[in-house]
Amino acid sequence: MLYKFWQEALEYKETIIGIILGVILLSLFVILPLFFTANPYQTSLNIFSPPNSKSLLGTNDVGQDIFSRLIVGGQNSLRVALGVGIFSTFLAVGIGVWSALAGGLIDNLLMRMVDILLVIPNIIIIIIISAYVSPTILLEIIIISLFTWLVGARVVRAQVLSIKERTYVYAAALFGAGPFYLFLKHLLPELIPLMLTLLLQGMRRAVFIEAGLAFIGVVNPNVISWGSMISQSLNYYYLDVWKWWLLPTAGALSLSLISLTLIGYGLEEALISSSERGKTIAADS
Amino acid sequence: MKQREKLFTYVATLLFIIILNFLLPRLMPGDPFLAIYGEEAALTLSAETKQELIAQMSLDKPLWIQFGAYLHSLFRGDLGYSYALNAPVSSVIAGVLPWSALLVGSALILSTLLGFVLGVESGWRKGSRSEKLILFSIIGISGLPSFLIGVIFLLFFAAQLDWFPLGGALTPYSDFTGLTLLQDILKHLFLPAMALSLTQLSEILLLTRASMLTNLSSPYVHTAAAKGLKPLGIRYRHAGRNSLLPVSARLGVSVGSALAGSLFIEIVFAYPGMGDLLHQALLNRDYPLLQGIFLTIAVTIILANFLADKIAWRIDPRMREE
Amino acid sequence: MLQIHDLHLSFGDKEILKGIDLELNKGEILAVVGESGAGKTTLGLSLGGLIGRENPAAGRCQKGGQAKGRILFQGQNILSLPEEELRKLRWNKISFVFQNVPNALNPVLPILEQVAEPYWVHELGTRSRAKERARKMLEQVHFPQAKNLNYPHELSGGEIQRALIAMALINEPELLVLDEPTASLDPLTRREIAKLLTKVTQNCAVLLITHDLSLASVLSTRVAVLYKGRILEEGSTEKVLQTPQHPYMRALLRSYPHMSTSKDLQSINLTLEEPLQGCAFRPRCSQAIEACARSSPPLLEFNLSLGAKLKENPAAQRPLNIASKVACHRGGIIPYLVAHRLAKHYDQNFALQETSFIIFEGETVALVGQSGSGKSTLAKLIIGLEKADQGKVLLEEEKVPFPRDQKFLRRVQIIFQNPYEAVNPKMTIGEIVEEPLVIQKIGQEKDRQDKVLRVLEEVGLPKSDAFLQSYPGTLSGGELQRLVIARSLILEPKLLVADEPTSALDALVQARILKLLMELQEKRGLGMLFITHDIALARKIADRILVIENGVIVEQGLSWEIITRPRHPYTKRLIEAAAAI
Repeated sequence: MLYKFWQEALEYKETIIGIILGVILLSLFVILPLFFTANPYQTSLNIFSPPNSKSLLGTNDVGQDIFSRLIVGGQNSLRVALGVGIFSTFLAVGIGVWSALAGGLIDNLLMRMVDILLVIPNIIIIIIISAYVSPTILLEIIIISLFTWLVGARVVRAQVLSIKERTYVYAAALFGAGPFYLFLKHLLPELIPLMLTLLLQGMRRAVFIEAGLAFIGVVNPNVISWGSMISQSLNYYYLDVWKWWLLPTAGALSLSLISLTLIGYGLEEALISSSERGKTIAADS
Repeated sequence: MKQREKLFTYVATLLFIIILNFLLPRLMPGDPFLAIYGEEAALTLSAETKQELIAQMSLDKPLWIQFGAYLHSLFRGDLGYSYALNAPVSSVIAGVLPWSALLVGSALILSTLLGFVLGVESGWRKGSRSEKLILFSIIGISGLPSFLIGVIFLLFFAAQLDWFPLGGALTPYSDFTGLTLLQDILKHLFLPAMALSLTQLSEILLLTRASMLTNLSSPYVHTAAAKGLKPLGIRYRHAGRNSLLPVSARLGVSVGSALAGSLFIEIVFAYPGMGDLLHQALLNRDYPLLQGIFLTIAVTIILANFLADKIAWRIDPRMREE
Repeated sequence: MLQIHDLHLSFGDKEILKGIDLELNKGEILAVVGESGAGKTTLGLSLGGLIGRENPAAGRCQKGGQAKGRILFQGQNILSLPEEELRKLRWNKISFVFQNVPNALNPVLPILEQVAEPYWVHELGTRSRAKERARKMLEQVHFPQAKNLNYPHELSGGEIQRALIAMALINEPELLVLDEPTASLDPLTRREIAKLLTKVTQNCAVLLITHDLSLASVLSTRVAVLYKGRILEEGSTEKVLQTPQHPYMRALLRSYPHMSTSKDLQSINLTLEEPLQGCAFRPRCSQAIEACARSSPPLLEFNLSLGAKLKENPAAQRPLNIASKVACHRGGIIPYLVAHRLAKHYDQNFALQETSFIIFEGETVALVGQSGSGKSTLAKLIIGLEKADQGKVLLEEEKVPFPRDQKFLRRVQIIFQNPYEAVNPKMTIGEIVEEPLVIQKIGQEKDRQDKVLRVLEEVGLPKSDAFLQSYPGTLSGGELQRLVIARSLILEPKLLVADEPTSALDALVQARILKLLMELQEKRGLGMLFITHDIALARKIADRILVIENGVIVEQGLSWEIITRPRHPYTKRLIEAAAAI
């Protein structure tokens, strides 16, 4: 199931390009730090230094090594991405499945809650909360996850509802299968492609939101982030320093986001086309 | 969703936002007064005024009484007082609202029109080389946060090429009037509006395109072709018109996301709207202002959703029944 | 007005239309009938140039596909006309009434606007004049005036269909393509729409695409039968629907429930086999010969051959007013057995006076009459148990000798009235069934045993050794008759002469045996001469009925016609006397 889905996703050029881009970025982040090591927090009097053999991207306004900050920022982005991706997918699947299987009042309440939370864009709510708690990475993961599972839960619920109504599920139930068996055998495998898609999209959204929060300055100031690097460097656009401070950071952020977006798009298209094919098969039989 | 259910959702959303706003500062560890008024206030206020304020907000009473007091002041239109700016929050916000409306409004119109037309054309030409390329780049751009696009625009078109001003909404200390004033406003508006609409474009384009693909294989489109309509007529009068429905149904969401995007864009371009104000409030830890902005944005989005629903009902005859 | 020459249309490597030739003139209504997937809709769309043309500017609403051949409309080839020229033809000259599916009309435009649209798009007048005209058209089709400005979702199926018709007629087209115009309507509305269509289509040529045979019969003047992209039969509506020439069309009619049918519904071999060459219908055909596997038969003028020689017996074959065409290597359903001027008398008394009739391949003909009417005599003459005084019997167009040779007896078998007497009680069941093979010296011992088992299974009898070793004395009447049928099937005959095969059986058993015979007909294309005194029974199983009285066939025709409109007093009496509950 997963393999077939993956094959299908790879039929979209977007997926392949996204993966290639992602692999290149990741390998740069692994290889380059081997040659350029510096303490990202260490300030010095050598400010606005252009790139040189010691520091690949020079130094910033307080003399910190930009490249090592870029690397740590990337690592933090990745942490947030993975954390939010997993946590919000978990929430989406949990609540979506619960809502679909429970039905009735619980379903109604949960879905109404989703409706309500979706009216105001999640980034705005996350900003106001972050403004008060000034989160570090773990807290950031939790806050972002709490407001990014909504659409996923809706999709999961719809999927579960449609699977639940399929004749073979009824048939299995009539053979005497219990709910646990039905869930493991008939429901979960069908949800795995969707979960993978949600994971990827959750990761993308996390990087996106994390950068935004850091840019606007509501994250804990001790956390190194691409977003805050961009907003700091923007203050010195009139100096040449943007070429090795702003540009590489913006580039790293853009490329990571584009990579994740493309993979997510490819997965989603594959998901849609496979579910449409499922429909035609159902219509034929 | 039926109209009544939607209305319920909006009311509930408003309630949720108010409760969140009320609880956030009060759940913070430490002195709630500090969390509500910010450090600036603590430094400038005398002990008596402080006591007075505590009494006024019932901060020494149980939570539910505090909530009552909070609601009471909200209903009187009192959003609090910004001690950092030394002005009532409501008047500070009212001062920046027009600029935000201008930016968000123009970006929305631009992105909706452009996204719709591009979506129609891209659906019509599905699979062609140029369409694939455009789609690919649009998807790529759609993943970028608005501030990033803003930064790139600012760097190239303002800082490097010097085609547009670096920031603000007006040239400071100039006494332009009439046409020159309008020109000045547009010049300052151009880059932020373009950046913002670019981030909004992809969603509308993809939505229109997906809808076009369904509609183009609909029987009435076949009929239109058989009727001898020119391709343009088939595309816009029939397939396009129907593809407008999902776009209009999503208008409310679009307003929300454009508004969210504008917060960042305004910071980049120092455009004196809500985003810029939010940035200042964050820098100054000006909590009353922060709360006021949050509430205003939420109410605006809810109202926009409500209006957007009305428009969608107007456009789609099938929804009018309900 | 419209000529289609050798039209081929394919999507990718899937060929939908495989050489269509059709002609349509003003005032004619040609119905193209066939099952779903036959290519009917594709054919209709190709007439508007909506399909099968290279047309990159037109986007996705054109389905594409590659066409070969010519579609000449008033001398212009639609397949090669420049797009702009074609656009002017569309709806002005060639318009469509599409199927009333969801979204047949644009959901966000009011009805009036959609009906008016073709008028101003083609610059026949201003928009307001177009609306004026649309209003008139809608009135003409009895569309409720109050709903002119409503949207499609507010209308009933019948109203939408009316709007679609008004829309199609607004530019006064010369060719109208109706694609399933009454599908998805309830029966009463369907009738109203059919009536309306007859009224409004008088001034144009109409191509009616439908799978609804009764609609075709009500509306059309000619019918073309489409099967897997080929036309198998074409002719006047009456001719094709009453006396189909192609086995496929006969099967279609047999499977179609309509009020004038009396016989039970029957299907035809269902197969997924797609022949790469030869006749597309061959895998399902019961009269296929070698030539059918080699090449696809052309659509040719139907040659009556033997049938034509029987002009003296007009009831056997309806007169052909309009040239009728059939695509079949065997010239359509073959007359399998022809009885030509047979007569027989015993001691000066005529048992049978000069009698002629035809049994077509796969057809069931019931010979109905009282005892002593000569029906058993006729059966005996045909099978060769007695010698006719005069006349001849032709089997597959060849005269059969008397006494009958083994070749004849392999193809024609008889089932007797009394199964108890039809088997030798001293033989085991296995021996009884095998006997004809032994007699005809067919096959080895092993093959014969296989065949025995196969026919026993076919008639629903057990195949166990114990059963084969047992004697028929233990069997019930119904089982015995099955045994007799199995025995006659083992020679793989194409025609069964059944002489009152169920008269000795209970009604319940009789029903089972009749079902079995019908099934065999479906599977093997078995023809039957069914001899009975019971006209109620004949009505249920026969395609045609011959009524015989005192050695004379007094009336013959299609079963339902004989039953609903008997002409001869004797037939009337038989019907009156038939069992009624």
